[in-house]
Amino acid sequence: MSSALLPKPQMRRLLARRMKFHLFGAFLLSVGCAALYKFGVADPRKRAYAEFYKNYDPMKDFEAMRAAGVFESAPPK
Amino acid sequence: MANHLQLGFQDASSPIMEELVEFHDHALMVALAICSLVLYLLTLMLTEKLSSNTVDAQEIELIWTILPAIVLILLALPSLQILYMMDEINEPDLTLKAIGHQWYWTYEYTDFKDLTFDSYMVPSTELPLGHFRLLEVDHRVIIPMESPIRIIVTANDVLHSWAVPSLGVKTDAIPGRLNQTSILTARPGVYYGQCSEICGANHSYMPIVVESTPLPHFENWSSLLSS
Repeated sequence: MSSALLPKPQMRRLLARRMKFHLFGAFLLSVGCAALYKFGVADPRKRAYAEFYKNYDPMKDFEAMRAAGVFESAPPK
Repeated sequence: MANHLQLGFQDASSPIMEELVEFHDHALMVALAICSLVLYLLTLMLTEKLSSNTVDAQEIELIWTILPAIVLILLALPSLQILYMMDEINEPDLTLKAIGHQWYWTYEYTDFKDLTFDSYMVPSTELPLGHFRLLEVDHRVIIPMESPIRIIVTANDVLHSWAVPSLGVKTDAIPGRLNQTSILTARPGVYYGQCSEICGANHSYMPIVVESTPLPHFENWSSLLSS
């Protein structure tokens, strides 16, 4: 009777293998979170400021606020 | 001013505040990366998928020494850049003094006209409709927009602090000391702040209101007030 031999399983450095796997995963997760924040919050905020100031007319803004009675030094006409 | 339940910064109204908001995003991103890493590892340890049963850990010790050093450098470089940017020589067009008292501010424009006034909070009982409770004052600090302004801050009695969050300014008012700060408003508008150093019973009731207007209106206002 012949018995098929199973391949010898890995018996050493199992914790090291698991640690390497999970540490790699942890770093990926943390970089992913940072990337999510960067592309979801930080970059849109930078773009919003750039867009706001691209065609910003301070005098037009001032006149609109003045008409609304916002200023103490410049009452509405 | 801040809206109800607002968690983040107010919209930046000066170039320095824009830089600070960007740096805060950067620092928060780093903090988020570190916190998510720690939380993940903690979860692994608590669910027994990871343990610290190891006697020789040279590689990981190297990683968790070098990586934090890199992170600290990544935080320090933009921080120092902004710090030095705040102290750049910018030849201000106007100098004004802000003097803290219990419990109001005095402003002195002594550059070209001898203009001095006190700024008291408008009590809630006298507040016109549509105005902001505990933030409005009887006399605002009027400054010309898009011009560098030097502000010398001091106090007459106890410690106060002159703060306007949307301009990125917070300067301690210390009796017997002159602290200097510089502001540049990128847009016309009205910017609110509050005393930021505990100074007694009415510490919460001595706000600061900066009004940024075009130069002709500022000149008109200053001639009216000093006459």
